[in-house]
Amino acid sequence: MSEFGEGSFVSEWERVKTNTRDMEKIWSTPRTFAGDVWFRFRKKPTALAGFLLVLFLLAFALLGPLFTPYSYSDQSLTLANIPPILSVTEASNGNYLYITPAMKVIQIGRDGKLLGQLRKIKDDDTLRRISFTLDDATVVYLDYTVKPAAMLDSNGMRSPADKQVWNTSFLLGTDQLGRDILTRLMYGMQISLLVAFVAATINMVIGILYGGIAGFLGGRTDAIMMRIVDIISTIPLTLYVILIKVTLDNGLFSIILALSSVYWVDMARVVRGQVLSLKQQEFVLASKSIGSSNRTIMLSHLIPNAMGPILVTVTMLIPSAIFVEAFMSFIGIGIAPPMASLGTMCNDAMEALRSNPYQLFLPALAICLIMFAFNFVGDGLRDALDPKLKK
Amino acid sequence: MSNLLEINNLRTSFLTSGGEVQAVRGVSLSIGRSESVGIVGESGSGKSVTFLSVLRLLASTGRIQGGEILFEGKDLVGMSRKELRAIRGNQISMIFQDPMSSLNPLIPVGKQVSEMLWSHHHAMPKSEQEQHTLELFRMVKIPEPEKRIKSFPHEFSGGMRQRVMIAMALACRPSLLIADEPTTALDVSIQDQILKLMRKLQAEVGMSILFITHDLGVVAELCSRVIVMYGGLVMEEAPIDALFENPMHPYTRGLLASIPSIDQDKAKRLTPIAGSPPDMIHPPMGCPFAPRCPNARGICQTKMPPYTSVGEGRRSMCWLLTPEAPLTDNPFKSGGEVWA
Amino acid sequence: MTKYILKRLGMMLMTLFLIILLTFILMHSVPGGPFTRDKQVAPAVLAALEAKYNLNDPLPVQFFSYFSGLLRFDLGPSFKYTGKSVNDFIVNGFPFSGRLGLITLVFVLLTSIPMGIVASLKNGRWQDMLLMALATLGVTIPSFVIAAGLMYVFAFQLKWLPIFGVDDWKGYILPMVALGGYSISFLARLMRSSLLEVMGQDYIRTARAKGISEMRVITRHALRNAIIPVVTVLGPTVANLLTGSFVIEKIFAIPGMGSYFVNSVTQRDYTTIMGMTVFYAAFLITMVFIVDLFYVMIDPRIKYE
Repeated sequence: MSEFGEGSFVSEWERVKTNTRDMEKIWSTPRTFAGDVWFRFRKKPTALAGFLLVLFLLAFALLGPLFTPYSYSDQSLTLANIPPILSVTEASNGNYLYITPAMKVIQIGRDGKLLGQLRKIKDDDTLRRISFTLDDATVVYLDYTVKPAAMLDSNGMRSPADKQVWNTSFLLGTDQLGRDILTRLMYGMQISLLVAFVAATINMVIGILYGGIAGFLGGRTDAIMMRIVDIISTIPLTLYVILIKVTLDNGLFSIILALSSVYWVDMARVVRGQVLSLKQQEFVLASKSIGSSNRTIMLSHLIPNAMGPILVTVTMLIPSAIFVEAFMSFIGIGIAPPMASLGTMCNDAMEALRSNPYQLFLPALAICLIMFAFNFVGDGLRDALDPKLKK
Repeated sequence: MSNLLEINNLRTSFLTSGGEVQAVRGVSLSIGRSESVGIVGESGSGKSVTFLSVLRLLASTGRIQGGEILFEGKDLVGMSRKELRAIRGNQISMIFQDPMSSLNPLIPVGKQVSEMLWSHHHAMPKSEQEQHTLELFRMVKIPEPEKRIKSFPHEFSGGMRQRVMIAMALACRPSLLIADEPTTALDVSIQDQILKLMRKLQAEVGMSILFITHDLGVVAELCSRVIVMYGGLVMEEAPIDALFENPMHPYTRGLLASIPSIDQDKAKRLTPIAGSPPDMIHPPMGCPFAPRCPNARGICQTKMPPYTSVGEGRRSMCWLLTPEAPLTDNPFKSGGEVWA
Repeated sequence: MTKYILKRLGMMLMTLFLIILLTFILMHSVPGGPFTRDKQVAPAVLAALEAKYNLNDPLPVQFFSYFSGLLRFDLGPSFKYTGKSVNDFIVNGFPFSGRLGLITLVFVLLTSIPMGIVASLKNGRWQDMLLMALATLGVTIPSFVIAAGLMYVFAFQLKWLPIFGVDDWKGYILPMVALGGYSISFLARLMRSSLLEVMGQDYIRTARAKGISEMRVITRHALRNAIIPVVTVLGPTVANLLTGSFVIEKIFAIPGMGSYFVNSVTQRDYTTIMGMTVFYAAFLITMVFIVDLFYVMIDPRIKYE
């Protein structure tokens, strides 16, 4: 007897109707190419994190300045070199007092707002003590007999600065000229990103054209063009950028020009490789047979199909550009003042590294975040586009 | 006659991120001494994985989930790695499909062959190893062996490379040679040469050969017995002539019907087997061939058929052969074609 | 084989020539450069330049005289520092840069290759994750940030190592780590992926089928094949160390060639820039050539066209 449960429609020895559709069933869900790439990209946590970080950084750089009360060049020399987190002592009027490395005293409200520098009365060398006036009423003393300098309390005893308070006037502190670092970071990031994007785009365009033409024409032309690329790549590209920058003036435009002059070689190689392999495929033959011009074939068929590797390469061009710009600024041939990129901010902060490390590490962190973000996105894109890793 | 190799209810899976791929789902078979057996099946049937499990040469995601593999009475599944290594190359050798990728491109072929000797006969002096290697090269008919010993794999043609692989496999005179699709990547004429060579060597050395292939024609050349696999299981097993004369499984019949032969009727169409192999992550409950079998019945979809003995040294896994199966409308009991 | 070497040598020399030509042209295109009349140049320097380079002669002649100077290993006088020649700078700076570069290269190789091997063999486990996380940091964080960070922690705060200079061996440690950071990370990742790929190859399965120990499979069969991409990339690695030295020597105040070069760039000492660029190019091209030879020796599959 049959051991089948409810709803069975075929008894033991009855023939099964074969369904060709069932037999040819493909066992995975269909997706469009772009959808498939996005799906695989999303699955990788670092790629997604990188992508969100890029969005955040763009928002920070472009929209951030709308929210700060300062411009990137506003200076207040009395409030120079104030870090974002302050070690303070309590003052008699309920506010806090902060001692700067230059041994000035800044009064800080309980909410962290900087209220201004105290006026110095006298610097007593023998007692190693400086007196300041607080609110034009009281006198407070700064003792520098031992390091670090400390304020004296009402009994004349050293009162160590053991309270920490956030700097709410300048959230990330100020630099050597009293400029707000947070604002300068935003503008610096704007400049760094602008330089990187424009340079990456120009490199991409040159690379696509050069590589596309070389791959498309093939033969002797290709060999010569690639030989030239090989010769250019023999010595480090950074060297060329330095040389070219030296021959140009100091503006923003010149650094973009210098950065756009050599990094297209990677893109050219990638595009050429893609075009060479795509050229053999049938859709190109089909296109030719209906009489499409070479230009049409290149632009409407070959390049769009090579878009994947192109995208990956351009995503990696951006952190390269950021790095080289920062590198050049660091050795002193980058962007000139008054404009500042993240690289120049780092360079300026080097001399004060010992006393004000935050001035270097904040722009350095910004650079690192940008590089991380784009590197992760690039890695994720590369994995998402790799057919071998498909599930 | 005690069996050389006995596999009992072997189950091997691959643990992938997409799920557990059950490549081998309960295979049992045995090989005797000096036998040549053909293992036939399409891609994904589990034929290679079964024998990779014997030598534990599975990819990193592979696991033997159950069963035993007895070689000369010793269980290979539970054996320590050290003991297994003494058997690899020494008592059981394996050659693979693509000789170009199976040989190390940076090491001269002579060294690769003599490494086999070094591995199991440490004490053998270098000069003796070299002599042996030259002997082996002559045995597999590689011309100018003295020169060729120093050559690199990319300097050989496909057929020559496979000869090198064979020389390497035979270096320690194993009692069992497992050949996993050794001629698939070669030209037809070279295929023929290699098969003839293997037949000759088998007679000379007196070893058993397990010939894994998807090509029934090749099996006919070399083997005395055939095992047909599908969906991770053995479908049918029979002596070679009996199988060709009277196949007793729908899948086997389908395979034979899809092979063109020189003297066939031109008007008769080749009937390919429609459909594609089953999903091994979610294998079907019943007979794995049921979805593609033109004779499938209700019970075939829901229950795994048992093995029925259908003659001397023959068995087949099909419900239509069992005593419970009806006598009418049954190609195996009442006659008629499985594949129209 | 000799034909191959000669061909590569010819390529090298041609490349070098083109680079010299390119640099020469670039320096000539600078307004107020060394080859025009510039009020800011000290008369003595101007006189020296005129004598050497015949500034009144047409361009090709100037190039010829410059080039013949190069053949005598004479890189010309400094544009900014009277009495000093480019050769002086190179001779003074090379011992420091050379030492730092060599130490760093050895350090990089001794660190990255084992890192990559361990990460690959422990694929997926915590050792792999940790090492690759470190490598990601090394590849993403710019060298000057690493340098500043190391300096802050080890020199300022912990005071274990000197801040500037290379008076004793301790002075080399921080620059070496900062300079090598990127290359170590890059090579480690490369070694790991290369070894992973090799271990999945058929010939490794064949090696195991012979019954040899896993250790021997890795050392005799896998490593040899896996190290090839790393060797290929050695040329660019050295180039990277070279450009990296510009920034590292500046930060740690090492009086090597890098700092002379950076100085000449900021001071617009054009003849020095030109001369040192030519020197660097020649050095790197030679390195690439040597690595190429090495590579050909290791891999028998390379066809010498």
